[in-house]
Amino acid sequence: MITDDIVIKTEGLTKIFQKGKKREVIALDSVDIEISRGEVFGLIGTNGAGKTTLIRVLVGLLTPTEGKAYVLGKDVTEDIDFIRQRVGLLPQEAGIYDRLTARENLIYYGGLYGIPEEDLNKRADTLLEIVGLKDKEDYQVKGFSGGMKRKVLVARALVIEPEILFLDEPTTAIDTLGARIVRNLLKKLSSEQKRTVILTTHDLNEVKELCDRVGILNEGKLIAVGKPSELEEKFRAANLEEVFTGLVTGEGVYGGAEP
Amino acid sequence: MKIPGVDIKVQWLIRKEIREVFRSRWLILGFIISPMFAWMFQGAFLSFIVAQTTESEQVFITVEDDGEWGRKLYEEIVANKSTPKLLIDPLVNITREEGENMIAEKTLSVWVWIPENFTQDLLTSNQTTMVVWVNTANIRASATAARLDVFAKSVINEITIVRNLNVNWYTIAPEVNYGHQLAIFLVMLTSVLAPAPYISKSFAGEREAKTLEALLVVPMSRIKILGAKLVAGIALTSIYSFFTAVGILAYNFSIIMRVAGLSEDYQQLYIGMYTVNAETIPLIMFCQFLVLLCAIGIGVVISCLAKDRATSESVNSMVMLIPTFAIGILGFTGSILQYGGILGFIILAIPFTHAILFLNAVLAETGTLIGLSINVAYMIGFTIVFVLIGAKLFEREAIIA
Repeated sequence: MITDDIVIKTEGLTKIFQKGKKREVIALDSVDIEISRGEVFGLIGTNGAGKTTLIRVLVGLLTPTEGKAYVLGKDVTEDIDFIRQRVGLLPQEAGIYDRLTARENLIYYGGLYGIPEEDLNKRADTLLEIVGLKDKEDYQVKGFSGGMKRKVLVARALVIEPEILFLDEPTTAIDTLGARIVRNLLKKLSSEQKRTVILTTHDLNEVKELCDRVGILNEGKLIAVGKPSELEEKFRAANLEEVFTGLVTGEGVYGGAEP
Repeated sequence: MKIPGVDIKVQWLIRKEIREVFRSRWLILGFIISPMFAWMFQGAFLSFIVAQTTESEQVFITVEDDGEWGRKLYEEIVANKSTPKLLIDPLVNITREEGENMIAEKTLSVWVWIPENFTQDLLTSNQTTMVVWVNTANIRASATAARLDVFAKSVINEITIVRNLNVNWYTIAPEVNYGHQLAIFLVMLTSVLAPAPYISKSFAGEREAKTLEALLVVPMSRIKILGAKLVAGIALTSIYSFFTAVGILAYNFSIIMRVAGLSEDYQQLYIGMYTVNAETIPLIMFCQFLVLLCAIGIGVVISCLAKDRATSESVNSMVMLIPTFAIGILGFTGSILQYGGILGFIILAIPFTHAILFLNAVLAETGTLIGLSINVAYMIGFTIVFVLIGAKLFEREAIIA
């Protein structure tokens, strides 16, 4: 049952990609997950574990092969426009429109959500200030460093003020200070504005700092879900990294507990 | 600026697409230079090649009039047939029936027919008519016919009493028209390539730049996204059409300047023959617009399949250039409609065939409403089919892969 508090729910979610006529790749294998409103949920896993595929299914870019996925109470295969109006996405390898300025990138993206230009200008002012790019807002992005572009992308994902924010490796390529700014911003979004954030990352310290709960994906299967501290306790591990490596490599978690 | 009745999200997308292209100076420069170049080249072609041709051509002549002026005109043609005056070699007398047979078989180059009432009409009404049939696919034939036209008028009209000789031209190759065909080919060539950089950037380029994924999750249907990009593409290529008109006017001006030192008869002849009639400019632009639409349709399909912008542009150029070159050469030699069977079907299936047929018919003023409508309908239908295929490809999951 989906309640108002549960904003994301999947039931037996499976996604299989056909590679040629004979080969199949199971990207998601019967994933069951529930994420509550205001939660910061971390998805971790090795490359190819299915993190990006899960996000893409939840935002309607991919259609599930089997199972169901609900976002904000709506089936992703039926009410995707409703969902898209309320969710933001920062893709893993997100690009940016180089020939637009930082501000134009934000305004344009917000415009595609039908947000009035006046509101967008105010939001852009605030977000560019927060990510430290206010003084460069009228520069074309083509001259920006990779980290600066990533900051613009984070701001762009936030300009629509989404109820749910999907961030695929948001702090990748950002310098330490920039990553700190982004993390603080995400914390604020979650605690003050009750926005739900689903993020994927390879930085387990980031997970521990930001995430209320974490899900570990391995070869398309969700092999563990819980609060970082709970997982450490459950698997009697010294830290989340031990939990992760023990589960993913199949060698078992240090301390001897079985998943 | 907001466009009433158009979804605000679509407007944002169109604005952004256009803004990006306007910041790409080379792309804009290409839109301006290409159409200008085609008509500049046409002017150069006429100036340096056609107008200066000195090669003679076989001319058939039929004199049915046994009156004073028919005989005089014939004698003057015989006396002046050689180079450099009329470029006739040989001048062959034939009957009207023989001439008509050669027209049917498309074997003649130039046939001059002085009808039997030529003198009588001139004496009674000061106005008479000579008929010239010419294979306009043949540059020498056209040059010779042009000289004959002016020469005949100079013979008849030199009398103090004002007389008027009409020279009616007919062509055995209506799908080509000397004086315009090169520009048509070049306009087609540049037009089919014009949308490629934008379309490649807008579809394959978005994927390559990793901006497509974020775009596809906005609350807009993919059809709307595709439609907005197409509208932006059409708006941008209108720059191209505008500069085509500028190119034509510049070309016309160059012809006027070129003949400024000639006698008035020659001036009128060359201006009438080589300049593009102002009334046909909108039709040329309309045809070019259809070509651009076809090119956009094909480009969208290629761009949705290509993995990156470079691949898209390369494949696009290849797919566009090969048939356009083939059709251009066929158009140049006046043989577009001479093939039957599968080859004829393939030729007619290529949309640019219809563009060349349309433009030739308009410029030569030989088109019929039905023929022109078929050409237009085919190009529009072709575009719709390809845009629909493009839309299907754009809907695929693999578009983000």
